[in-house]
Amino acid sequence: MDPIVYVSLGAALAAGIAGAASSFGVGVAGAAAAGAVAEDEKNFRNALILEGLPMTQSIYGLITLFLILLVSGILGGGFKFAEATQENIIKGAILLGAGLTVGLTGLSAIPQGIISSAGIGAVSKNPKTFTQGIIFAAMAETMAIFGLVGALIMIVTGVGF
Amino acid sequence: MGVEVGTITAILDTTLAIVFTWVGYKTADILWKYTPYSYPNARIKAMEARLFSDQKFSELAESKTLNNFVMNLEDTDYKPYLSNIEGYSAEKIDRALDNALADMYTLMIKILPKRSNGFFKLLLQEWDVRNLAAAVKAKIMGDVARDYIVELGTMVDKIKAIAETKTLEEILVILEGTEYEDVYQKLLLNEINLEEFETELYRIHYKKLMSYAQSRKGEEKKIIEEFLKLKIDKINVMTILRAKLHRMSAEKIRPMIIEGGSLNQRIIDTLLNVEDLSMALAELDSTRYSQVLRESREALESGDLSALDKSFEKFIQEKIGEMTRFYPLSVAVPINYILLKEHEVKKLKAIAKLIEDKIKPESIKALIGEAL
Repeated sequence: MDPIVYVSLGAALAAGIAGAASSFGVGVAGAAAAGAVAEDEKNFRNALILEGLPMTQSIYGLITLFLILLVSGILGGGFKFAEATQENIIKGAILLGAGLTVGLTGLSAIPQGIISSAGIGAVSKNPKTFTQGIIFAAMAETMAIFGLVGALIMIVTGVGF
Repeated sequence: MGVEVGTITAILDTTLAIVFTWVGYKTADILWKYTPYSYPNARIKAMEARLFSDQKFSELAESKTLNNFVMNLEDTDYKPYLSNIEGYSAEKIDRALDNALADMYTLMIKILPKRSNGFFKLLLQEWDVRNLAAAVKAKIMGDVARDYIVELGTMVDKIKAIAETKTLEEILVILEGTEYEDVYQKLLLNEINLEEFETELYRIHYKKLMSYAQSRKGEEKKIIEEFLKLKIDKINVMTILRAKLHRMSAEKIRPMIIEGGSLNQRIIDTLLNVEDLSMALAELDSTRYSQVLRESREALESGDLSALDKSFEKFIQEKIGEMTRFYPLSVAVPINYILLKEHEVKKLKAIAKLIEDKIKPESIKALIGEAL
């Protein structure tokens, strides 16, 4: 495959996988939020906050997409790795790897949605568990943050601006 | 670097294919497993928050009149069921509470995923078995069958019709086409006695439940099987101990045992063949139910099995409660809620009956605290 394919794939997968995972995560937590609110409207505020947690992964995906497009020159100039040389393929592969890292770690949005969903259930039963629910759900976020940091290192040191 | 461009792309493409296949499979598996329980379980947890506290029961116990008792239930989920009652009586309140319970089962069936709501339809049938056994027993004993019926289950109309029959043969006509027809026919022909009839009804029911559990997968199978095993063990242990109290022989007890519990055949055989109740209790001490027996030992030795029934209920509730903590997005949550709700309704019915019988609030509090 040409370098353009790897670079585009990297950008698309970073935003695509993370975005899809976020939507699944929010979907799972959203269903739980609807269930909690159906029984008691007072659960709305707590449920809304927990439901929103899995959205962050899609933001990380979007940041990575912009970075990949920027360093490869697709954004703001001509594409830098058009020629299928060994060096360009490796740089393309690094950008694909960075995109994949964010995309795959972004999948943590799905378990985060599941944790949020269980948390919404717990908060509906006992509102005092709200903070604990947030902390449990936020634990899944760490993987996505590690992924983003790793991708940034790969982009900056492997390809550079 | 001496690696060919073609080799690099081949490695990358293969890696991508493997990673995506694995991730796709795992993601689909997780989503299939948990997503369907997201809505119902959060809703059930919110419903759990409205279950009555000890303080609420205490307030209800102080109602003094049934009118006050109903007034105290005005701000609860029972209000719609109680508001249409004219002239309060414990019996009318009983029926209203049964309707609330029936609607709760219907709601569970409606909101739970298809892959597990069939279990709740089957659980509802347990009321058919209870009602049928109670109605037939009352008819044979010459009691008023209607007094023993709970208006819950999938064949309430048939059960009511059975309660109104004048002869035992009429019951057979009503049961025609149901799965209970054959076993009732055997009872009519004196091939089995009343106890065996009841056991046979439960056997049919638990066989259906067990085959349902075995058709499930993963966590669902594990949770439903565990729940059923606990319930079957409860029935078997109660049957054996009751029989031992009445000094029945192993041959007479054996047909009343329901298969499928967690107690293995060796323990069941030993229990059947021991001479008396104390030896049966000693044998059960080495099983998972030792704690249950310890709690009710004194009462048991004086011949009172109601304490054991209560301890068993508590034990089952605790075990399912543990499962809800371990599997928060699973079928354990609705099972646990049903157990809690049934317990609550049982307590409310007892309070209503005690108020009607003009029992003092202090005594009611003591009774509902101890006896249930």
